[in-house]
Amino acid sequence: MNQAPVSCIPSPKMSKAKKVLDEARSSGNPELDLMEKGISSFEEMPGLLNMSNITRLTLSHNKIIDIPPGLANLVNLEILTLFNNHIEELPVSLSSMPKLRILNLGMNRLNSLPRGFGAFPVLEVLDLSYNNLNEESFPANFFILDTLRALYLGDNDFEFIPPEIGQLKNLQILVLRDNDLIELPKEIGDLTRLRELHIQGNRLTVLPPEIGQLDLVSNKSVLKMDYNPWVAPIADQLQVGISHVIDYIRSETYRYLFSRHISVRGPPPPKYIDKTNKLSRNRKSN
Amino acid sequence: MWHSGSSTPVAPLALQSLDHSQLYQRRTHQMGDGNDPRTEEIDNLSPSTGDYEDLSEQDWADAENSLSSISISSGQMSYAKPTRPTFLKLSSTNTPALFPTRSVSETSSPLYMHENSSNSRITGNMSLGNMFCSRCNDGFEPHEKIVNSNGELWHTQCFVCAQCFRPFPDGTFYEFEGRKYCEHDFHVLFAPCCGKCGEFVIGRVIKAMNANWHPRCFRCESCSKELADLGFIRNQGRALCHECNAQEKAVGLGKYICHKCHGVIDEKPLRFRGEVYHPYHFNCASCKVELNSDAREVKSRPGFTSNEMNELYCLRCHDKMGIPICGACRRPIEERVVTALGKHWHVEHFVCAKCEKPFLGHRHYEKKGLAYCETHYHQLFGNLCFVCNQVIAGDVFTALNKAWCVHHFACSVCDQKMNQKTKFYECDLKPVCKKCYDKYPAEVRRRLRKTHEATPKKATV
Ligand SMILES: [Zn+2]
Ligand SMILES: [Zn+2]
Ligand SMILES: [Zn+2]
Ligand SMILES: [Zn+2]
Ligand SMILES: [Zn+2]
Ligand SMILES: [Zn+2]
Ligand SMILES: [Zn+2]
Ligand SMILES: [Zn+2]
Repeated sequence: MNQAPVSCIPSPKMSKAKKVLDEARSSGNPELDLMEKGISSFEEMPGLLNMSNITRLTLSHNKIIDIPPGLANLVNLEILTLFNNHIEELPVSLSSMPKLRILNLGMNRLNSLPRGFGAFPVLEVLDLSYNNLNEESFPANFFILDTLRALYLGDNDFEFIPPEIGQLKNLQILVLRDNDLIELPKEIGDLTRLRELHIQGNRLTVLPPEIGQLDLVSNKSVLKMDYNPWVAPIADQLQVGISHVIDYIRSETYRYLFSRHISVRGPPPPKYIDKTNKLSRNRKSN
Repeated sequence: MWHSGSSTPVAPLALQSLDHSQLYQRRTHQMGDGNDPRTEEIDNLSPSTGDYEDLSEQDWADAENSLSSISISSGQMSYAKPTRPTFLKLSSTNTPALFPTRSVSETSSPLYMHENSSNSRITGNMSLGNMFCSRCNDGFEPHEKIVNSNGELWHTQCFVCAQCFRPFPDGTFYEFEGRKYCEHDFHVLFAPCCGKCGEFVIGRVIKAMNANWHPRCFRCESCSKELADLGFIRNQGRALCHECNAQEKAVGLGKYICHKCHGVIDEKPLRFRGEVYHPYHFNCASCKVELNSDAREVKSRPGFTSNEMNELYCLRCHDKMGIPICGACRRPIEERVVTALGKHWHVEHFVCAKCEKPFLGHRHYEKKGLAYCETHYHQLFGNLCFVCNQVIAGDVFTALNKAWCVHHFACSVCDQKMNQKTKFYECDLKPVCKKCYDKYPAEVRRRLRKTHEATPKKATV
């Protein structure tokens, strides 16, 4: 049979990506910009997986569904940006990339992360915003990622965060904005280097008092917590300012309220955001 | 021992059964209004299986106005209460004579009796021919020992526990619905079990929360106080003492609890050293007047930053002393006051911790309780680039609580370089170029707009 596997791909698109690759190969530029090139498959980028010299690969705003395991051949890659594609699954090999420091998988269609995902040796910034992830999506070793500085999980479907989050000792930024969170684990209080915590747009009613241990009120810190059904005393303090919230949750009074609240906990508040029309829900299986 | 033909006077044995009406009488006697001669005997003889106390309870919802009226019912009502189970029901004919005692009447005593006994009060209208065993309905042999208990007769071998068919140890039995049981089986079959420890409840029985309890076992589910004599309130299926219930209620209503007396604070609370109190627990540090919620907490007095040094003043004293003290020279500040690092400063005394030049209104940077000028802050602490995580040697882009080196200030979505002139949007405190922002789904942009006024921003260099 005379197969023509690429015959269905329009040639102009093909040449756009190919042109960038050719230029990079001749100039030796290790940073590859391939965003918004209409790419739906790595087959449209011939030879890319052999360009082991590249340090940054940017493929934002394409239509890529599958990531080939061979991507892990790019052993010098430090920054991989796959924002706004149609990725549903990741290869297990990805976490073996020895120099990958920044991985942006935001706005894709991930329902889970592959096993062994926590094995990245030097990953510092991981952006998984706007996917379909929840507490069951984390593989067992996820929280050994103790090189992580920033973890972006906004716009996903988390109702809980595993207590193992406390193992991410270097975490400075944690974004949980616009999930379905019902509660936060007290172990967030173990993240001593945290200086940005984004928990707005969830279903939180109380904060674990342990969060009072964190430095979230200095002028280098950020705590965003609006749009949650907070209990009245927290909501009152929030109106006057974040520092008042922190002062309050550090008090004995609040510890008492918190223990009571936990022991008489009613049903969780309703979901805050209707996500049925999220782009990430458009999976090919649907 | 009695043998046939013996003329020894018949002594009653301590055969008895238990009746709550008798206990009821015992109680009233103990309470001072009884003169029933039986009472003392009953006290001695009665193996009390417990008298019941229904603890009243009240649900949170209707507890509003009548919390103080909740009480434990006294002994008198426990028997009469229609709601309590009446499993210790004795037939009415038994009741008056049930407790055989020397002092009341020998006729009612159950006793071993000889056919020829001269005790005519018992046998006066009986002859062996019309006497039958209450259990097997057979007659009695001449000279056979007969048990008479409350006018009913038994063969000695028939006068046994309805459960184990053994004679009653010490002659003690319990009667229930016409059957007689030994003490052991009666407990097993009918005595109440404690809802906490599962043991039989002998003595005082607390009936509450649809179960029976030892008084020691019925406790507040929050603070473990014994509730038997305090009363309780049912709160979401739990028995709570009044204090704990009040606290839960206060928390539920968003009210504060006093850190000192743990009572609910109905008025405005007084905040002091990070806690809330009833204001009346404190006096003004200066004039000693009892404080109200207008009192002022004076923080960070010269030389101190810790909460523990804070003091409370009434409004009048606070206004009188309202002259700020400079955190450097400790003298009062008459002219312009700079407030920073939680202290007040003379303008000329608020200086860089490194070069000691006053900021004079210029920007300062704080680190670990000290202030620095821009030059020395960067020199000492060097900003780290968000992307390469290296100390930034040259120009620094500062925005969104972050810093970037010139090589790495770029759109976080498409990695395209930006400069101080580039307008960008913010998502999760990361910069997003306009091209990328416009590609966000409308629904996301709407949300970002709502939560962080998505106006384009610029970095400072
Ligand atoms: Zn028995
Ligand atoms: Zn008990
Ligand atoms: Zn209590
Ligand atoms: Zn008080
Ligand atoms: Zn001064
Ligand atoms: Zn200086
Ligand atoms: Zn950099
Ligand atoms: Zn961009």
